[in-house]
Amino acid sequence: MVSIKQFIANRPTSARALATLVATIALLGLAIIVDPLNDTYLATASIMAIAIVGLSLLIGLSGQVSIGNSGFMAIGAFTTAIWAQHHAHFPLLGSMALSVAVSTVAGIVLGLPSTRLRGPYLAGMTLAFAFAIPPFIQSLGTFAGGSGGLYFPTLQTPAWFASAIGEKDNPLAANNTWGAAIAIVVAAVAFFFMANFFHSRSGRAMRLVRDNDVAAELVGVNVARTRVLAFAISAAFAGLAGSLLAIIQSSVLPQTFGVALSIELLSLLVLGGLGTLGGAMIAGLIAAYSDSIVSRINSWTGIDPVSNLGGSLKGIIFGLILIATMLLAPSGLAGLGHRISRFVRSRVAQKKALSVSETP
Amino acid sequence: MNAAAISVENLSVSYGAIKALRNVSFTAQPGVITAVLGANGAGKTTLLRTISGLLEPDEGSITMAGTNITREKTEDIARRGLGHVPEGRGVIGEFTVEENLRLGAMAAKVDLKAGLAEQYEQFPVLGQRRTQHAATLSGGERQMLAMARALIAKPSVLLLDEPSLGLAPLVTVELMETIRELCDAQGLAVLLVEQNAKSALRIAHHAIVLHLGSVAANAAASDVAADEKLRQYYLGLAE
Amino acid sequence: MIDLLTSRVMGDIFLGVTQGVLYGLIGLSLVIVWQSTNILNFAQGAMAMFATYVGMTLLEHGLNYWACLAISVAAGFVLGGATERVLVRPLYGKPEINSIVVMVGFLGILEAGAIAIWGGTSRMIVSPFSLSYFQHNGKTIFLSPFAILQIAAAVTVMLIVAGLFRFTKLGLQLRAAALAPEVARLLGVRVNRLLTLGWALASAAGAVAAVVISSGFEGLTPTNMDVYFVFGFIAAAVGGLESPLGAVLAGVLIGMLQQFIVDYAPPSWASFSPVLILVVALMIRPQGLFSKQRVRRV
Repeated sequence: MVSIKQFIANRPTSARALATLVATIALLGLAIIVDPLNDTYLATASIMAIAIVGLSLLIGLSGQVSIGNSGFMAIGAFTTAIWAQHHAHFPLLGSMALSVAVSTVAGIVLGLPSTRLRGPYLAGMTLAFAFAIPPFIQSLGTFAGGSGGLYFPTLQTPAWFASAIGEKDNPLAANNTWGAAIAIVVAAVAFFFMANFFHSRSGRAMRLVRDNDVAAELVGVNVARTRVLAFAISAAFAGLAGSLLAIIQSSVLPQTFGVALSIELLSLLVLGGLGTLGGAMIAGLIAAYSDSIVSRINSWTGIDPVSNLGGSLKGIIFGLILIATMLLAPSGLAGLGHRISRFVRSRVAQKKALSVSETP
Repeated sequence: MNAAAISVENLSVSYGAIKALRNVSFTAQPGVITAVLGANGAGKTTLLRTISGLLEPDEGSITMAGTNITREKTEDIARRGLGHVPEGRGVIGEFTVEENLRLGAMAAKVDLKAGLAEQYEQFPVLGQRRTQHAATLSGGERQMLAMARALIAKPSVLLLDEPSLGLAPLVTVELMETIRELCDAQGLAVLLVEQNAKSALRIAHHAIVLHLGSVAANAAASDVAADEKLRQYYLGLAE
Repeated sequence: MIDLLTSRVMGDIFLGVTQGVLYGLIGLSLVIVWQSTNILNFAQGAMAMFATYVGMTLLEHGLNYWACLAISVAAGFVLGGATERVLVRPLYGKPEINSIVVMVGFLGILEAGAIAIWGGTSRMIVSPFSLSYFQHNGKTIFLSPFAILQIAAAVTVMLIVAGLFRFTKLGLQLRAAALAPEVARLLGVRVNRLLTLGWALASAAGAVAAVVISSGFEGLTPTNMDVYFVFGFIAAAVGGLESPLGAVLAGVLIGMLQQFIVDYAPPSWASFSPVLILVVALMIRPQGLFSKQRVRRV
């Protein structure tokens, strides 16, 4: 028990690597066991978690509110999709890397004004960005598919993978599992990076800039560069999520990446908990399962899912949750979990103390 | 029996865990200037802000002319005829001199024209600068504007928080004389919070000395001024 | 004279101004709210939409156009005031992120709620004014009776707001409550009521824009006020968020610029070029082009 604590304290990076590895193996195992539909959900959860943890860094750690990360997701998705148009067998890693690179550049460009703008101005500007990206992509014409989007060959599952999971004769199931596996591994790498970044020098600098930029400047932190860095990393994560989404769906539509997606990302982040890795993971899962949860609610309450109310139920619920979380539990689900565990621990400690004092 | 203009009983106020006022009791009478003296952090400003309803007391009561105003809203207390010139004067720099005065008259049921004329007569410099933005005024002029803005509503009680702060000695003397004149002429009850004990005691009738949130002395101003111990320990006035 | 009015440039100016005043109106609403409570109301457009749908529903029961306009503006007024009381009041003094998230959440509820109640398709209020452009000797002047009403409505609202703030007792108190709430309260100003009133007024002004939009070519859908919010925000931000006149002027400029782009460049550029203007304008003058104040450190 003590040795684990010591290990975490002495070699935090190795401890995080180990934790990531264990989680990845467990999730991969899960992906192999569950049915193809749940594989899609796992993939979506991983993808959304990547985008949300990137937003969490920007909002939670650096204190800059963005309602524009759907724009970066679009840039990542379309970069991958355009690449795929020109290469029949496009390399996965290469296209993801290119997407990350392009969206990082976009993040730096949008982040530059953040060195001079604060709060609502910045949030409004990112919203305008999110708003402008889909029409911008459409204006690129056939190169980016116009308003009809781009379609490209589906992901090819390697033969070794299909036979390894025993789905040689079921290419659809193998495909879904392969997609989920890719998303899980990429998400694991992304979360490992983020876990280390949160505890790094730059991560601490970001927190300092968020809490008191004047003090940060005094201790030698480059405030402007720190702010832009947060934007760049956040955009890179969104771009990576977009790229993965394109790869898994083998199609992209500009309208998918509207302001509504940005609002969804923000809602999920707030619901999960700002500035925490666990919160982003919870939020990813909620994102993946929200549609099926809503359809459950529809069938419980007897609301016709194709009626006006049925179609907008998700939006209403999201909005209500967003407001309720902010007004009642601003630290989100992760914070709620934290509070509960602290409460339980303090109760246990109290009991221990009592029993100790009772012994003569 | 005539009710006191302001009567404070057993007032306690705290900021979180810090007690700012403990069991403070005193009365302020119409036509009397009551100086509230004490070192920095003694609770002088806290006392005024609690009377105005900007802070909520833990315990105790505040009565104004016989009416209990404890926990009433600030704006309602103001409408009862309590003028409060806050620390730093609270002049709205973006407004012109006249707009500041108009704002002061707004909540009270007074004749605006007559009120303006009266204040411009009392403070001629404000009349000269009526269309200027208040931000362009000097410290002394701002203090006059802040007082005029409170007086135009015809208050029965006037709370002044550090009016001499940042003013040149000569201006301070003039200001104190004006306060005394106003009090005598209008029968105002004035609560005058001052760091500058010497100038405050010169015009005050009565004085309260606060020390660490408690009343250390409550006596006629001349007695406080003559008390060597008080002068040395609490007011920092050495001979 | 007629040659000038029917020229291509004047046509673009007419069309641009007609569109731009709507951005200006939403920008104006945002400025009123920002000035009184330092909150950027992301739901401003959606609130205007919702209020107009309420008015429209009543119109379907046989009321005339002007009654519908009045009801929509009144609904906007009530909705704005209620929003301040219920949602915004707990946010004062809290971190900025809280207000952003709550207003974005409210935006989501209003839009989804409108779809739930009224459906997602476009709706129109037919105005008594023609939408067709004036003709002269076979040439078109790109102004219609309705466009003139639209511009007149925006100018009227702006004059009412400016006059209210500048010349009335109420305006003086509203400005005092925004600039120095504590001082205002010490002078007997009922600040809480004024903040509610500020939100109500802003929301009513926004509702005028939504009513006009619902009578135009595109009609009103639960989500098409998003566009007007974004461009209205750009107008307000370029104008400095503090200046009502600046917001309206910037809105008109954005409308004209879009029209010139539609006419002389690939039309699809019109929907994202204002964002570039915003970025460039804020890089040059972070405090806004028309603001006298120094930039606010938040």
